[in-house]
Amino acid sequence: MNSSTSAASFTRRASMVLRSRPFLTFATVLLVWAVASVMRPGFGAFGHLRYLVELASVIGLVAAGQTFVVIAGGIDLSIAAIVTVSAVSLPLLSIDADPTGLTAILATLVMTTFIGLGNGLGVAYLRVHPMIMTLAMATFLQGLLIIIAGGSAISSQNPLVAWLGNARPAGIPAGVFVWLGVSALVLLIMHATPLGTRIYAIGANPLASRLSGVPLQATTTVVYAISGFTAGLAGVLLLGMNGQGYVGIGDPYLLASIAAVVLGGTSILGGLGTYAGTMPGALLLVTITALITVVNASAGWRSILFGSLVLILLLLSGREKVRR
Amino acid sequence: MATDAPYLAARGVSKSFFGNPVLRDVSIELYPGRIHALLGENGAGKSTLINLLSGAMPADRGTIEIDGNPVPRMSPAAAQAAGIAVVQQELSVTGSLSIAENIGLGSYPRRFGIIDYTELSARAGAAASLVGLHEPLSMPVGNLPLGRRQMVEIAKALYRKPRVLILDEPTSSLSASEARILTELLQKLKGEGVAILFISHRLPEVMALCQHVTILKDGVRTADRSIAGIDADGLVRLMVGRDPGDLFPHWTTARSRAKAIVIKGFSSGLIREADLEIKTGEVLGIGGLAGQGQEDLLLGLYGATPAETSAAEVNGNAGLPRSVSQANAMGIAYVPADRKREGLHISHPIITNLLLPGFARAAALRLRNRIKEGEIAKGLAAHFAIKGDLDRPAQALSGGNQQKVALAKWMPHQPQVLLLNDPTRGVDVETKREIYIMLRQFASDGKAVVLLSSDTPELVHLCDRVVVIREGRIVSELQRADLSEQAIVAAAVGAEPTVTAA
Amino acid sequence: MSGATTPAEQAAPPLYWQVQRRRNGDLFGLFAVVVVFLAAYGFLFPGFFTLPGFAKFTQSWFPLALVAMAQAILMLTGGISLAIGAMVSLGAVIAATTMAGPLGVGGGTAVVALAGLGIGAATGLIVVKLRLPAIVVTLAGSFIVGGAALLILPRPGGAVPMWLSDMLAGNTPVAFLILVVIVVLWKIYLATPLGLAIYAAGENPVGAYRSGIRVDRVLVSAYAISGLLSACAGLFVAAQTGSGDPVIGTAFTLNSIAAAVLGGIGFLGGQGSMRGALAGSLLLSLMISVMFFLGFTPVAQYVAQGLIIIGAVAIPQFRRKR
Repeated sequence: MNSSTSAASFTRRASMVLRSRPFLTFATVLLVWAVASVMRPGFGAFGHLRYLVELASVIGLVAAGQTFVVIAGGIDLSIAAIVTVSAVSLPLLSIDADPTGLTAILATLVMTTFIGLGNGLGVAYLRVHPMIMTLAMATFLQGLLIIIAGGSAISSQNPLVAWLGNARPAGIPAGVFVWLGVSALVLLIMHATPLGTRIYAIGANPLASRLSGVPLQATTTVVYAISGFTAGLAGVLLLGMNGQGYVGIGDPYLLASIAAVVLGGTSILGGLGTYAGTMPGALLLVTITALITVVNASAGWRSILFGSLVLILLLLSGREKVRR
Repeated sequence: MATDAPYLAARGVSKSFFGNPVLRDVSIELYPGRIHALLGENGAGKSTLINLLSGAMPADRGTIEIDGNPVPRMSPAAAQAAGIAVVQQELSVTGSLSIAENIGLGSYPRRFGIIDYTELSARAGAAASLVGLHEPLSMPVGNLPLGRRQMVEIAKALYRKPRVLILDEPTSSLSASEARILTELLQKLKGEGVAILFISHRLPEVMALCQHVTILKDGVRTADRSIAGIDADGLVRLMVGRDPGDLFPHWTTARSRAKAIVIKGFSSGLIREADLEIKTGEVLGIGGLAGQGQEDLLLGLYGATPAETSAAEVNGNAGLPRSVSQANAMGIAYVPADRKREGLHISHPIITNLLLPGFARAAALRLRNRIKEGEIAKGLAAHFAIKGDLDRPAQALSGGNQQKVALAKWMPHQPQVLLLNDPTRGVDVETKREIYIMLRQFASDGKAVVLLSSDTPELVHLCDRVVVIREGRIVSELQRADLSEQAIVAAAVGAEPTVTAA
Repeated sequence: MSGATTPAEQAAPPLYWQVQRRRNGDLFGLFAVVVVFLAAYGFLFPGFFTLPGFAKFTQSWFPLALVAMAQAILMLTGGISLAIGAMVSLGAVIAATTMAGPLGVGGGTAVVALAGLGIGAATGLIVVKLRLPAIVVTLAGSFIVGGAALLILPRPGGAVPMWLSDMLAGNTPVAFLILVVIVVLWKIYLATPLGLAIYAAGENPVGAYRSGIRVDRVLVSAYAISGLLSACAGLFVAAQTGSGDPVIGTAFTLNSIAAAVLGGIGFLGGQGSMRGALAGSLLLSLMISVMFFLGFTPVAQYVAQGLIIIGAVAIPQFRRKR
């Protein structure tokens, strides 16, 4: 039409973006970075910020799957175990026939995707509550880990894994590139494909979705499989950064992934939210952790500060509307 | 009969939800020893008025008075203290607690701080026998059928020895004998000086029982008068605002010989061994008392609940759909009765609601085309007169517009058979008219329309044919020429001569 | 026990006991499985039938029973707690740092109990008043409470008086008797209006509110009791080990959910009963012991545990569908 209405619609859109949760979370991260850099000169150094983003990439990957699952109305409590399984079994898979190490990585990802698929089948077809299904899966995997690792740390010889964990093409960690690539794909699936719309639909109202012809069980299964895949990928990256895998390496990422999802504005009740919020959510999480480290407090205070800050941030922005 | 001050009154109360006014400046006065009828169509604001009177919701404007004194902060606890008891349409019982524990909930007799089960047993037992509830008091309410739960709800109100008793459509899920017990009970309570507010759609019941009537239409009070000197037609005129006949379009049948659906020996849920033919171009009505299996018939045809049949044909394909996706592919669409729970994603934008069936069947990873989606949605909105920004969440729409969205979303897929479950429940009169016209239009376009309705006039005035279901079986089939409310109700209640026909 | 058993019997037993009997309704299957496992355990470990053997067994069950109850109360209200493990740790470190000091065992127990009640009530208030989902609040809470435990005792240490350890975790079934007392106290609580309203508030909060129940108060009380039970489980664990460990409770969060679900508690609120949750915790505890005695490798134990939990939840679902 004419320019005045298009300008008006542009202003409206712009204000919508400015008031959206992803943007606000991102702005919070930048603000915290700015303030912290003034207070502590070392904080704002490129190297330090780069390190934070690198740490966030692992959380971001785990939380990618978690975001899908939570939007679909579930929760994945087996994520920590899957990350560990990935990081522990990959070094054992280093096949001599493939000097690049790619085969081992692909095999690991296929395996973790199947683990996620198992979760999905249990939730969708056996109708086990997601919390129980993924919890039982975590217990199951714990047993599996003892077989394959036997309790000791296992060093990785895989060259590609080492590259992913340590290389810095163009000064930016390879892991961050992986994260950005996965993010682009996740956002595309979430917002630009019918699959994404179905995932939102089953999370908001499974019954109405089924009656509208949405394949409820297949969609649910896919969501958990995606979560298995991204957790596996996070495990690969973590292994690369650490050099070795051990039982318990994935443990911090369960709560971190849920916290990143919720901080990013995704409703824990399902149906509303976006990965665009989870990404700054992951950054915010590592930033909080880094700040607490800067404060140089004891482990106890760090944990208390972390929990309190997460709670306060949720109170400030993330109130669930009452729904039934 | 009436004393000076009303026991309970609302003065000029208003209330709106999501910007939609539901009540506008409504007043009502409940006097002791009088049964006061509150009438109005679905969505006229009756339930909201009750919620205000019982303190379950605060009014936006206006005051609630008890014994002539305004109550600034009305709450359920305050209402209970003042002797106001409500029998809600939406049950407030807890399935896992026993009948006695439910009846006493919120005001248990206590000894040393502990519930006195002996006393509770006596008092709850007395309330239960008043309403003819003879099941063991220790039985969990979850084990009772719906009608009996309703009786628990009524016993719960009586247990509190109320001065004011409010009943929201208490008879809709009751059997004839249960309804009779209730009627006698209300007469007795009236004699004891209780103020009673009675909401019902069954006008003969209202005419027989009540002395005073308040009528709401679209949230506004249109009448507040003695019931003497007015007949049922007069009440309907006040409720609808026009003669009942004007609500429905005039139509001629478009029924063809072609069969859309044929089922033989069909069983699903409560339905047993049903035989039915649905022709293209007809509106087939499904009637009966609430909960006789009507919904199971639709859901079974739609592949949403497991169904068995000895022979079936759907739009030329042999066999029934075994899933919703299959049903959609065969050209069947279903519009549920409960829009909020089953029909819509109320927290999602209107546009995604309109397009969801399309997303459900599209290739999972094909990229969406937002421009085209916008055009389709705009077209649907224009055709169904759904006004406003389509990016708003569906809960911002009024009930009628929500229903239009639930219907419109199927149109891009050209369904040949439309299964409609009570499509006008809780819908305002204007939208009702629009929906009626659409239904007849679908039929004349050669679609088959199956209309399950709890509103008998709809069945009489819109359908080519009506089948009546009782206890899971098709007990009667009425052609257009034989259709009347009396005939449908008579079939619905069985051999019993009809008491409830209008 | 309560005023329910007063005179004037007709043919039928008084209402209270009828209600109690009906609560066993769906649980006979679970009880049967528990009995089978108990028999298997007794067969594998004949010492079970001696007093010390029985005492040892009940001691291994006791903390799990307490956290299962703590979780079940919240699940009955329609909530859940991911901070149970942290609360157990906190209880343990408080016990290990106070009881050997001037406060003594009595004072230490009081501090543990107050901490449990206070933190539980605070969690409940945040959930109820600020309308944040329980799962998120307790997730953040697990960091705060866990951090507090680390502050009190940064590394394993502290001490619990020997006689207390001997009493609670020695050769006499004191732990079992305490559990009986706790169950009786729970029964009494459930016979009060505030306690019984947990079911109504969990299953149908709107209906409960309309019936004049102060839903908020019911929920906050439930959270407080849940906190108390978890902290007491921590005290017991400290007595068992003789010292405090700031991360000893971690595994209890997930095990408490598993036990409650095995016992038939639903996630939607108002579904299930405490006796079910207790039976669930007993079953979980027995499973672990029996598999240990059968010489299952840890792997097989984990695998079996995972499968049993899934089976226990999935099978009833299927039966209902048919």
